[in-house]
Formats: sequence, structure tokens, C-alpha cells
Amino acid sequence: MNSSTPSSSAGGPGSADPTGPRRSSKRPKYSRFTQQELPACKPILTPKWVISTFLLISFIFIPIGLASLFASRDVVEIVHGYETDCIPEGSRNDKVGFIQSSLDKTCNRTLRVPKEMKQPIYVYYELDNFYQNHRRYVRSRSDHQLRSPTSEHNIGDCGPEGATSNRTHIVPCGLIAWSLFNDTYGFTRNNQQLNINKRDISWKSDRDRKFGRNVYPKNFQNGMLIGGGRLNSSIPLSEQEDLIVWMRTAALPNFRKLYGKIEVDLQAGEIINVTLQNNYNTYSFKGKKKLVLSTTSWLGGKNSFLGIAYLTVGGMSFFLAMVFVVIYLIKPRQLGDPSYLSWNRNPGGR
Amino acid sequence: MKRFVYINEDNLAHDLYCDNRISNRKYTIWNFLPKNLWEQFSRFMNQYFLLIACLQLWSLITPVNPASTWGPLIFIFAVSATKEAWDDYNRYLSDKKANEKEVWIVKQGTKKLIQAQDIRVGNLVWLRENDEVPCDLVLLGAADPQGICYVETAALDGETDLKTRLIPPACVGIDFELLHKIKGVIECPSPDKDIRRFDANMRLFPPFLDNDVCPLTIKNTLLQSCYLRNTEWACGVAVYTGNETKLGMSRGIPEPKLTAVDAMIDKLTGAIFVFQIVVVIVLGIAGNVWKDTEARKLWYVRYPKEGPWYELLVIPLRFELLCSIMIPISIKVSLDLVKSLYAKFIDWDDQMVDLETGIRSHAANTAISEDLGQVEYILTDKTGTLTENKMIFKRCFVSGTFYGNENGDALTDAELLSAVSSGSTDVIRFLKVMAICNTVIPVQSKNGSISYKAQSQDEEALVRAAARLHMVFVNKNGNFVDIKFNASTIQYEVLDILEFTSDRKRMSIVVKDSQSGKIILLSKGADEAILPHAYTGQQVRTYAEAVEQYAQLGLRTLCLAWRELEDEEYQEWAVMFKEANSSLVDREWRVAEVCQRLEHDFEIIGVAAIEDRLQDGVPETIETLRKAGLNFWMLTGDKQNTAIQIALSCNFVSPEPKGQLLMINGKTEDEVCRNLERVLLTMRITSSEPKDVAFVIDGWALEIALKHYRKAFTELAILSRTAICCRVTPSQKAQLVELLKSCDYRTLAIGDGGNDVRMIQQADIGVGISGREGLQAARAADYSIGKFRFLKRLILVHGRYSYNRTAFLSQYSFYKSLLICFIQIFFSFISGVSGTSLFNSVSLMAYNVFYTSVPVLVSVLDKDLSERTVMQHPQILFYCQAGRLLNPSTFAGWFGRSLFHAIVVFVITIHSYAFEKSEMEEVSMVALSGCIWLQAFVVALETNSFTILQHLAIWGNLVGFYVINWIVSALPSSGMYTIMFRLCRQPSYWITMILIVAGGMGPVLALKYFRYTYRSSKINILQQAERLGGPILSLGNIEPQSRSLEKDLSPLSISLPKNRNPVYEPLLSDSPNSTRRSFGPGVPFDFFQSQSRLSSSYSRNCKDN
Repeated sequence: MNSSTPSSSAGGPGSADPTGPRRSSKRPKYSRFTQQELPACKPILTPKWVISTFLLISFIFIPIGLASLFASRDVVEIVHGYETDCIPEGSRNDKVGFIQSSLDKTCNRTLRVPKEMKQPIYVYYELDNFYQNHRRYVRSRSDHQLRSPTSEHNIGDCGPEGATSNRTHIVPCGLIAWSLFNDTYGFTRNNQQLNINKRDISWKSDRDRKFGRNVYPKNFQNGMLIGGGRLNSSIPLSEQEDLIVWMRTAALPNFRKLYGKIEVDLQAGEIINVTLQNNYNTYSFKGKKKLVLSTTSWLGGKNSFLGIAYLTVGGMSFFLAMVFVVIYLIKPRQLGDPSYLSWNRNPGGR
Repeated sequence: MKRFVYINEDNLAHDLYCDNRISNRKYTIWNFLPKNLWEQFSRFMNQYFLLIACLQLWSLITPVNPASTWGPLIFIFAVSATKEAWDDYNRYLSDKKANEKEVWIVKQGTKKLIQAQDIRVGNLVWLRENDEVPCDLVLLGAADPQGICYVETAALDGETDLKTRLIPPACVGIDFELLHKIKGVIECPSPDKDIRRFDANMRLFPPFLDNDVCPLTIKNTLLQSCYLRNTEWACGVAVYTGNETKLGMSRGIPEPKLTAVDAMIDKLTGAIFVFQIVVVIVLGIAGNVWKDTEARKLWYVRYPKEGPWYELLVIPLRFELLCSIMIPISIKVSLDLVKSLYAKFIDWDDQMVDLETGIRSHAANTAISEDLGQVEYILTDKTGTLTENKMIFKRCFVSGTFYGNENGDALTDAELLSAVSSGSTDVIRFLKVMAICNTVIPVQSKNGSISYKAQSQDEEALVRAAARLHMVFVNKNGNFVDIKFNASTIQYEVLDILEFTSDRKRMSIVVKDSQSGKIILLSKGADEAILPHAYTGQQVRTYAEAVEQYAQLGLRTLCLAWRELEDEEYQEWAVMFKEANSSLVDREWRVAEVCQRLEHDFEIIGVAAIEDRLQDGVPETIETLRKAGLNFWMLTGDKQNTAIQIALSCNFVSPEPKGQLLMINGKTEDEVCRNLERVLLTMRITSSEPKDVAFVIDGWALEIALKHYRKAFTELAILSRTAICCRVTPSQKAQLVELLKSCDYRTLAIGDGGNDVRMIQQADIGVGISGREGLQAARAADYSIGKFRFLKRLILVHGRYSYNRTAFLSQYSFYKSLLICFIQIFFSFISGVSGTSLFNSVSLMAYNVFYTSVPVLVSVLDKDLSERTVMQHPQILFYCQAGRLLNPSTFAGWFGRSLFHAIVVFVITIHSYAFEKSEMEEVSMVALSGCIWLQAFVVALETNSFTILQHLAIWGNLVGFYVINWIVSALPSSGMYTIMFRLCRQPSYWITMILIVAGGMGPVLALKYFRYTYRSSKINILQQAERLGGPILSLGNIEPQSRSLEKDLSPLSISLPKNRNPVYEPLLSDSPNSTRRSFGPGVPFDFFQSQSRLSSSYSRNCKDN
């Protein structure tokens, strides 16, 4: 007869947590993961911790910022805008007409070296207000076609510049190639030709992998509309470095692209004569053209943004740290003070 | 609508009613794909993603490779379709099993074995002992000559006791052979789902009976899914089949539940969608304007002069695609993933295992864990949920002596044992009533031990106790019962059973001593149903006091009485009784009245006290959860007294003076209305005081209140934190849940029996206790637990963590999507508003799928406070209930943060990578790595507890980002060939990263620190206290005060609810119950006479509360 006797739990004070002996059979193996009991570190934002973090940031950031600033200052840079000056006085009312005409566009400019410039000196052209990142533009290319001659027909993305009017494929197709920048620069110092090295101005990886050694320009700039520069159709694409540089599209409407390198030092005060062919049309969209000669530092070209930003962030951190110290001293507050718990103030209330 | 069932007519009605095929399936093989897709696409989010994916096929506008959207989309759809298909397949299998079960039916006068699914309405079905009833039957014959058979209805209503079912009088006595040929017609209502009602009548065709109509009730039916027990065979005619059975009608696939968090996420998604549309429109217009004014001058872009007709749409659509990632496709996958992990944590939890039975907790619904943390109302069943549903005879009071008071168990009371062995007349008689006066069926197993099958647990407890005291109920053979006392066997012939009804509140049995031929009436029942009928000379005051004392201990009491009958008196009465029993009109009332004529002049023998023990830890659980701001309603089918007793003993209501109970009862609209208004008035007055006011309402009044005074009752429901509803039906329980839900409260229903199933399914969260009443509730529920006390852990630990984690995860998902989206938008301003994507397809896809999903997934391990702290300060749950961690304002914070971070990343990137460095692929990777760095630090800052997994995921993910990109950079065919190697060699890249992190996180950290320290939330304070080991841990300590009922049994705590009377009287009493309990021998308490004429099925607990 199974008459139940009172069970034995009478003695134990409460029995909320039966963590006691575990019966095996039905249970999965006990693990700290399944019980959500993995050992954990639980950092909290103590004043000490937070203030020292901010101090640490400022102590790290200010030196780096100074270093960046100095690096940027050491870079010598000559920037010369020529988009207006290289239009003959008479044509300045109709710049677009001039640039589209077949007149001689040679233009001579002089640059003065402000400081000693150690070689290599990079020669850039800088375009402003030129949207290489425009959606119609940036996708108008065919990487397959550039890479291998067998993919010549692969012009799906090339948009309005994929094939000529009589349906032959254009190599390299697309708007980017079509609008190749074609101003040229020649430098003389003291009537001596300054050599511009135009080799290795593009990425090696592009030359090796992206632009084929046996892909030659075809039907390029043969259409009704002539965009930018022309290509020598007997030179393979992998050696057309200007094209390779140009086809690394810029993310910003204001960008510089490498034109070449001058591999001699320039002394302060030297005068450099530039003979340039002002061929490229930036006038229809009021874009600026600049010629840039620049040395380089460990951070790259002249750009004081990082330095200033670092100093600002470092300074702000220091300021915040000080503010927190002051607040901490003026109005100390005990962490985890139970009197801030409303239910401890009036028990029973909600 | 009526249906006419022609018994045994094979050719009729075949096409009229469905066959007995049960189908719970949602799909067939053919409609699975379209139906499932249709269902999936009925969700707004999915429609959105599909639209985006389709738009991406248009290469003119797509910024990225369409695969980046189609891949994840197809994956997501495949996953949920597979899950649905699997569930449906399992349903199909279980249906098939039920449908192909073989049953005996009669066809053309011969018995045949057919599959259950081929049963038709009108078929005669034969069942043997322990068979499952295949469809709803009307009984026609049974092995028992009197036409009684027993069924177990556990699958239907969850009650495990045996119920008696009767053959309709018209069929009693029909020969076994003749049953095969029985013909007739049953007129019954159209199928419905009321399992307590079946109002039909039957007419048998000649030669069986004359044309008299025989009424049928639910007592004459065998319902689908019940089991035939203790009956050799039974046969019946199928009246409802297949999905039209009572069970089938009440089935139906429950609506999928949507959590409050989900609803909030949907709302936020909608807001983001609107924002996105605004952005798209603004940028679209700007883009078109820019195109017409500026882009036409850009000769190198070569815009055609005349575009196609849709030209104006192109740019807006491009922006739509560009911004489509604002609504992260990954959020659904991540949420599903973490939610199933929450569910697994519940399944795995070793602290929620019932050690006695080894039953683990189980989360059947994996989608609603967050809601556990947001529950506001808990509606709980009483029996089996709060109590163990294990009735144990504990004490008794016989002829002036209390037994069991010293040690709390009468069965081991030496005094009682010696009284038994010495043969004290009173005690013997007491034991005899205990052993005989019941409807228990003893079942002798092969090894000689006897087990009892009882309709009521109380009776079983009494019989068992009697057996322990050597009065063993050995056998029941037809009308003869054998009782073994010590060595001798006594046989009684049962002459009549005066059944228990809730109106009469007592049952009696008339037996004849086979030896002496004496006829005795044995009765047992509630005190108010027995004591007033004592013979005039007897002092009942002592018994009343005993009842009172036991009731104060929370014990259920039964008064036992007997009377010797004169032969003539009995014969005279027996005629009347038979007559009443066979009356067609008002039978119940007539029988009751006749019974009343016999049940008087009782000799009260004693009072038996039965304990239904509270489960372990119930008072502590309720106290903790109430502190957590949860409101408790007790919904029980039990009577008011017991309900209140249990409520008191488990901290449900506090004793006076802190607590106050307000009664609402009444039989008429007027009464209920007055009561309701009175209680409302009191509530309004006291709601400002910190007083614990609860209202008590019974089922009858509730019915009226819900029907006619819904508004007032709703107000009451809002005002009252505690309520006790007694005598409620399953559908009323569901109605109450519905009522609270309609007031926008999150409800949790917890129960253990089949009668709780509807409420469990109705509630936002249904919790089933896999208890003694079977697994039905557990199966219907979203969560099943072994014991009530696990509810505390389920809500405070699992629910709270789930809510916190989901709140973080969902907002973070939006944050990271918005971050990258804002950068795209900013970029469009410097790319001629043309809709260029800064990032390439690989990055965009991987950003959502890998880079930002992995770190946040480990937030499922995050714990803001330790479990211990939460248990000690349950009030902290308020943050979850009020949705403080996920709402439009917190979301605005995340929105602002992503805007700020996007500005930081974008500005720093385009400035430090300007001029000769502004190569598209490089800038894109710089910006992307900036985002990845920032989000790693955001996750780190928002993580409260770092386990090794978190470190692995956050920092490992950062490393993973570089590894993945190095790999991609090594592929010559990819657009970003060599890019990442180049960047990593540049000092400026790393300096930029550090700058982005410091610039992005500095202000966030400062702000967080300031709020954490000087505007700290309660959570923050507890965090600080927990980690610094402050004084708080000892201060707010609410270690469970051991207050289980066991303790109450010690003499010391008897005084606990001593001042019971004042507590339980209605405050502004205007009902007759205020004089209740003042009855004594002098006061006539003829409860029966005055009330029974209501004769409604609902006239329960009449005057007595």
C-alpha cells in the first residue's frame, strides 16, 4: 500500500536552488557553457579606469600628432594651377572652343623651387571637380578585356564606349579609358632637360596581372567623339603606364595622379621651366588642372590632416580627463550606493 | 442546426458528414511550395527583401552584384521552409498513426475490423478495455449489467481520474446479441467544442423500444481520445467523426506568438523604412537635379541627350538599392539563431531540473524568450500548479479527540493507532465511512497489492489512509464491497449511491450489512453540507471548531457522518429515489431533493483533514516575483475557501493588516453589479496606499461581470494586482487572459492540467507544469517546467537575459547597417549623387554576414548582472517589463551613434586618403576597416561580462577580417587584388585606424561613463555594487524565508493566519455572507432548500460565499 509519507524536505530552509547532487541519466553533460557559467571578467567604468584611459590616449596621440605634422611639413611641394594661364588671352572667353580646336596648345610655365627637394621628386597632375567616381563612369570598363586578348568581346559594362559604330570592339573599352588624361609635361632646368622617368609609375600588380602583356589597343579613339588621349597601338597595355594609372579610378572628385618621377635633387631657388601641352578638356565642367611636384615622407605626401586630427583628439582627451578629475573631486559619488535604489528607500513600493 | 444520426444505417449519411480522418496538417506535397512561400511573403520584411533582390537584377541600377542579396535571401527562405516542412511531416506521421489504428465496428450485423479513419457517422463502434476512443460516440451498451463504464479523459481535459459513463436508459438491458442490430435515430447538435455539454435525444426503432424519446447528456458519451478503463467492453454509435469531434473542434493550430520585442523591432523597422524612403526621395531628386545641371557638362560621363521614359526613376532606384541594407537582412537570421540558443539554455539549465522526477525544463517555443522578461501578469492555476496535487490524509477529529495534532500526521499518531487496535466504536465507524463512502474502485494486481482508481483525489486519500489504519477496502464486486478489518472481512451491499454534486457538496451511500442486515447511510461532505443536518441532540460546535482549525492550517476538511436507517424508511425512500432518477424533467434537482429527505439527523462521526501540500518554494517564488513587479491572478476550479487558504499560505495575498480581500459574488446581475462597484470603490481608495488588496470572484459572478460589466471589470483588473477567481471554467480562464491582453498587458499563464490548455494557448506565454495531471498542459505550452518554483528562474534569469540580449542585438544590428549605409550616403555627395557604391560587393555581403554578425552573436553569453544579484533584487526586472532597453528613445541613441560614427569614419578617411592616395579600392577598404574597428569596440564597450568566447569573437573577428581580406587580396581576379597588402604596409593606414577608433569611441566612452557614474540606472548601481562588493549585497537581502506548509504544521505557526475571519469578510459587506460561519446547532442552515431550485448547472457555492 502506497500511502505517502511526508517528504523529507521539511528541514531545509527554502529550496530554491537545487544545485545539489546531480542525477546522471537523462542529462547532457554539465558544462559551464550550457549553464551560462563561463568565467567572465566584468569590467565596469570606474573613474580611475576611465580617466587613465583618456590620459593614455592623450599621451599617445599628442606625440604621434606632432610626428605626423613634422613629417607633413618636411614634404616640399610645388603646386601650379595652369588651367586658365595656358589658354591664350584671346580665347579665354571661349575656353571650351579653344580646347576642342586643333590649335597649338603648347604652353610654357616656370616654377620656383622653394626648398631643397630630394629625389625622387614625384610629378603629379591634379584634377579638381572631376568625377572619376561617377557611377556611369566608374563601372564603364572591362577588366577581362584588359587582362587577356581572348576576352576582347567582353564589353558588357563598357557603356557608350564599348564598340565602334560599325560594331567592332574597342580595346580598351569603356569611358575611363576613353577619357584618358593627355596633357604632357616637359621640364628644363637651366635650359637643361630634366629627365622624367615614366616607368614604374603604376602599380606593379596592375602591370603584371591586370593589364595583359599581349593586349594591344584596337579601334581606340576612332569613333565620332574623341575623348582624351590616344594610345600607341603597337605597345601592349601592360606597358601603357599612363593608362594604367588613369584607370585606377579616384574615390574623390579632387585627385592627383602620378605623371612621372624626377630622379635628381632640386635646390632651393632653382627655376624650372615647364613646357606643357594643354590638351585635356576640363573647361566644359570648370575643372581645375594643376601640376604638382612633391617629395614624400613616411606618411606620404603633404597632408597635415592626420597631424592636426591627432593633436585635436589628444587634446580633447586630456581635457576630458581633466574634467572628469574635477567632477570626481568636486562631486564624489560612491559607486554602487544602495541608497540610490528606489526600492530600498520605500520598501514594498514599486 | 441539428444533425440526425441513424444508428447502424450503412447507406445513409455517408456523404453528409466527413469520415474519421484526422488531419492536423497545414500543407500537402503539392501546395507546400506556393503556400509556404505565400506565408513567408506575407511578412513585410520578406516582401521588402524580395523587392530589393528583384530590383538588383536590373544591372542599370544595381550598385553591387545581385548575388549579395539573393544568396542570403534564398538561404533564409530555405531554412524556414525546411523547418515548416519538418514540423508538418511530423504532424502527418502522428495523424497517420491515429488514422490507421484498427477498430471494431459493426457492419451489416457483423463485427469487422477497419481502420479508424474509415469510421462513418452512424457506425457502431466496439471498444475493449484500455482502447482509445476513436471518435465521439454515444454509448449504447457496456459489459456492466447496469450500463456503467469508466473512462479516463486525461487527453481531453487533463483530469486523470476515472469518470463514469452511463448507457442511456433506453438501451439498458438490451441483449449483447441484439446490440448488433440496434436501429434508431439520434438527434444531436452540430459539432461544437464544448466538452461538457451534449444535449441530444435518441429514439430507438422497433423492435427495441416504443417511440419514446430518450434524452442524452454528456454522461452518455464517449469522446474521442478518452480511454476505456475497468470495463470489459463497450459499444457506441459514432456521432461526430474526424475533425468534427469535440476534440477536433477545439484543436486548431495556435496562432504563432509574436513577442513584444518582435513587435517593437517591427515598429522600428517600419520607422527605418520610412527614413529610408525619405533619404531615397531626397537623394533621388538631388541626383536628378545634379544630373541635369552638372553631369551633362561632364563630357566624360556621356549622358545621352534623351533617356528612356524611366530615366527619372533610375537614380532614386539606385539609391533605394544602396540604402536597402539599412534594414539588415541578417537581423532575422541572427535573431532566430540567438533565440534558439536562449531556448537551449533553458533546456540545458541544471537548476531547473525536477530532482524527483528528473524532468528538465523545456522550451517548446523557441521564439518568445524575451517575452518572459516582459511579463506583467501571471495567471496561475492552483491545484497541481501551486500545490503538489497529492492529497494526503493528515489529521482527524473523532468524538472529541484531535488526532495527528502533535506530530502532524494522524497515521502515525500513537493515540489513534491504539484507539484502532482497542476497537473504539467511534474510530471504527469513522474508518468505515472513510473506506466505504466513496466511488473508488480497488484494483487488485497479480501480486496481491491493491491500487485504487478514484474519481477524486480526496476519496483516494481517505481510502488509502483507512487502509493504513487496517480498514482495507479490498474488493468491489458488483454491488458488494468487501472490507478487511484486521483479520476479518466484512461485506456490505451497496444499495444506493447519492452522488456528489457541487450543489449538494456531499455524497452519501446506503449500504446493507450483509451479516446483520442493518441498513446504514454513510455520508461525507463539506462542513456546511453536513453539520447543519446533525440530529438534534448532537453538539456540533466542537466539530465546527475542528473544521475551523484545520482550515486555518490550509487543510481540506471533510465531515463524516452516518445514520442507521429503519428498513421501512429506506424502502419508502428507495421508491422515490428510483422514481426521481428516472424522471426526464429536472432530474438533477429532483434527485437532489429526494436525497435531502434521507440525509438528515446525521450522527456526526468526525472530521477528516486532507492536505494538498504546496510545492516546494512556492511562497518564496511568488514573493520574489511579486517584488519583481509581477501581478498574480489565481484561476482555479476549486472552491473559494480552499483557494483563499492556498492563496494565504503561498504569499499570494498578505494577511491583515497589510492585505485585504474583497469579494465579488452574487447570482444576479444586480448583485454582481453592486458588488463590483463596491469593490471598485474600495480599490480606488486604497490604490494610493501601499496596501495589498485583492479581489475574489467566483465563476458565476465572473460570467455576469464579463458579459454585462466588462468595462468595470476591466478597470478592476487594471487596478488590482492580485485576484483570485474560483470556480472558473477553462474557457473563462481563457477569457480572463484575453481581457488582460486587451489591456495591453503581457500575460503568462501557468497550469498543469488539460483545463488550463486554453488559457495557456491564449496567453502571450504559456507555461505548463509537467505534473501529475499528465502532460497535456506541458505539451500545449511554450515552456514546460517541472515545478512552479522554476518560474522564478525562468522569468528572472532566462527571460531577463533574453530580453537584454535581444535588445542589444537588434539595435546593434540596425546600428551597424545604418553605419555603412550612412557612409554610402555621404559618399554619394562626393560622387555626383549618382549612386556609386563606395564598397564592393564582397565587402558589403561579408560585412553583414561575417564581420559584424559574429561578434554580436556571442552577446548571448552576456550577463549584465549575475544571477544571484537579480534574484536578490528582482525589482530590476522592471527595466525589462517597461521595455527600457529597447524603445524608440534607446533606438534613437543607436541611430545617433551610427550617424556619428559614419561621419567620423568618412571624414577621417577622405581627408587622410586624399590627393594622390584617393584610389577607390583603397579608400573603400580604409573606410570598411574603420567600420570594423569601430564596431568591435562598440561591442566591447556594450559587453558587460567578457568570457573567453566574447574575446575570441570580438578580437578574433577583427583578425578574421584581415585574414579574409588578405585572402581576397591575393586573388588576381578580384577587384581588390593586392589592396589589403598595400594598406597594411602603410603607416598612415594604421594611424588612420587608431584615429578612427579614438575619435569614434572617445565621446561614446565619455558619455557612457558620465551616465554610468552620475546618472546611473538601477542596473548600473547594482553592477557597481556587485563588482565592487559594496554593502548592497547584504542590505537588500531577501533570502527565502522558510515558510513552507510543513512548518505550519508545527504548533508554533498554527497561529499564523489566526485572525482569519476579519480578513476575509468583505470590507463594505452588504451580502448575506457576513453572517457566515456563525452557524451552530441552533442556527438552521438549510442551504439546500433555499438554493437548489435555481437548478442551473451553475448554482454552485450558493450562500456560502
